[in-house]
Amino acid sequence: MTMRVECHPVLGNLENQRRITIYYDDQAYQAYEGDTIASAMMAEGVKTLRYHEVSGKGRGVYCNIGHCFECRVCVNEEKIVRACLTPVSEGMRIHSLS
Amino acid sequence: MVVKSDDNKIICRCEEVSLGTIKDIVHHFHCSSREVKLRTRAGMGYCGGRICRTIIEKVVQDINNEKVSNESQLSYRPPIRPVTFGQLGGSENDDES
Amino acid sequence: MSDLLIIGAGPAGLSAAIAAAEEGLSVTVIDEFPKAGGRLLGQLHQEPNGEWWNGIQKGEQLSQRAHQLGVTIQCEVSVYDISQSKNGWEVYTTRGEYKAEKLLLATGATESPIPVKGWTLPGVMTIGAAQIMGNVHRVKPGNSCIIIGANVLSMAIANELKLCGVNVKEIIIPKADITSNEAGNPEQVLSSLMRLTHLAPTPILRQLGKIGKMVHPKIAIRLFPKKGIRMFDIPLRLKTAALEIVGDRFATGVRTVNIKANGEIDHTSEKVVDADFVCIAGGLTPLSELASIIGCSFKYIPELGGHVPVHNEQMQTNIPGLYVAGNITGIESAKVAMAQGRVAGLAIAADITNDWEQMETSINKAIENVNITRDKALIQFHPGISDARKKFYQKSEVNLTQISKIKKREA
Repeated sequence: MTMRVECHPVLGNLENQRRITIYYDDQAYQAYEGDTIASAMMAEGVKTLRYHEVSGKGRGVYCNIGHCFECRVCVNEEKIVRACLTPVSEGMRIHSLS
Repeated sequence: MVVKSDDNKIICRCEEVSLGTIKDIVHHFHCSSREVKLRTRAGMGYCGGRICRTIIEKVVQDINNEKVSNESQLSYRPPIRPVTFGQLGGSENDDES
Repeated sequence: MSDLLIIGAGPAGLSAAIAAAEEGLSVTVIDEFPKAGGRLLGQLHQEPNGEWWNGIQKGEQLSQRAHQLGVTIQCEVSVYDISQSKNGWEVYTTRGEYKAEKLLLATGATESPIPVKGWTLPGVMTIGAAQIMGNVHRVKPGNSCIIIGANVLSMAIANELKLCGVNVKEIIIPKADITSNEAGNPEQVLSSLMRLTHLAPTPILRQLGKIGKMVHPKIAIRLFPKKGIRMFDIPLRLKTAALEIVGDRFATGVRTVNIKANGEIDHTSEKVVDADFVCIAGGLTPLSELASIIGCSFKYIPELGGHVPVHNEQMQTNIPGLYVAGNITGIESAKVAMAQGRVAGLAIAADITNDWEQMETSINKAIENVNITRDKALIQFHPGISDARKKFYQKSEVNLTQISKIKKREA
């Protein structure tokens, strides 16, 4: 399933997007170069990016511009980043936090 | 069907503090938004209160029947983004934990 | 060390960078987002003359111009603290320390929340989040959505989501309670929509504006149909309130109920409307956290969207060497932000060269342009912006010493 807006009546069509592979919780997903982690996962229909550290309830993108910190994920087993502000790169390994 | 009270809805997303908890504290201690924050942790989470601060202040002002002041009760304190000890020590490109 | 560091690469920050660089200043602009453009990036609406305002293009044009002038723009940089010394400013970021003689805060706005039961579920996001996802990243957060919060911003973005192929099922309002303010009161929501000018960007909004001149909102909301009116073919339902966002692991819909003009709930009408995602549209408020940690004075001005740092018409704050421009000074359109940015850029150039006399004409012209742009704005986010600004600047505690000195001498 992809949620890409390939065609747009005003902004035009997406063309020649370079596809890359990223891994979220060890599963491979297709992303476009230029995606943020948040947009790449949303395009693949993945809405839950982390689990609340106390209640364990799922959380996803809320503000999409770095204000709320709800979409934080772990990248390459070392960095905690906001998915909405972090561009994807080939082979990036992303893990959800809980 | 009667609508249940909204008191169990979450106000502070980071610390999962409900409207009811905030109301109870304000009623019980007749306190400021700053005291609400210290007593409930509402607004003290990862986002630094950026999302819920205006709502907390609104609830406190409504219950205490106060007007909005020019100087906000819940002032921001640095660091306003989570930083690592590495960054505070001057190293670059570290994470946001 | 730059002459000027600008925090925020949106319409205000980039315009200020261009104006300052044109005056020969060395300028660096930093921003958290991976792309420059700020709030411009998501914007897409039709002007009254039928032309599209394409924010992505506008943002690119500003970035290109800034690059041509030698401005350094660095994205993915988050500021966490700022200190001032004799020589200027030290700004601490996730990519190290920046130093500059003058500092401009152009951090824009943040979206006010409307806490609705279930709003932490994945698939619930701010209306701005959905806008960026659709227009900038070109990803639909889902195939269908419900928008909670009826205001100018949510109606404009509803249409943008529709252009992305999203089925926007309805725009409704939150159930009134201590957290929802006017947003949960049908009459007040309609009243604020009816204050829109004849320049409003769509026929239906212009229509509401015309009605507003003839009918009192109290009467209008009584006549407002229960099933809503259609705008861009999207139902605008001011007599439907959101009780709760439902869903187990993620949002699957909204439990709604009909309300009367006075806000009274008709419990028999309760139902769940399915949607893939839910948007919360609580409006915008100035993002002034950096001004706060620096120690600026603030003023609460509801017409400007909340607390704004005290500043004068030259965009100087009460802290020497610190300037503000754009939505941090009050919620207005991107065009106003761009005009304000130009004022700030010129004023900072005058400040650095200490040649206010030379710059006075161009600064005054730029200020005049802000006022003209404001009066011509298609969308007034809050009523009474111009008057509130005038009152604020007349009473401003910030003395522009140099300029007032010149004026006195001339007099």
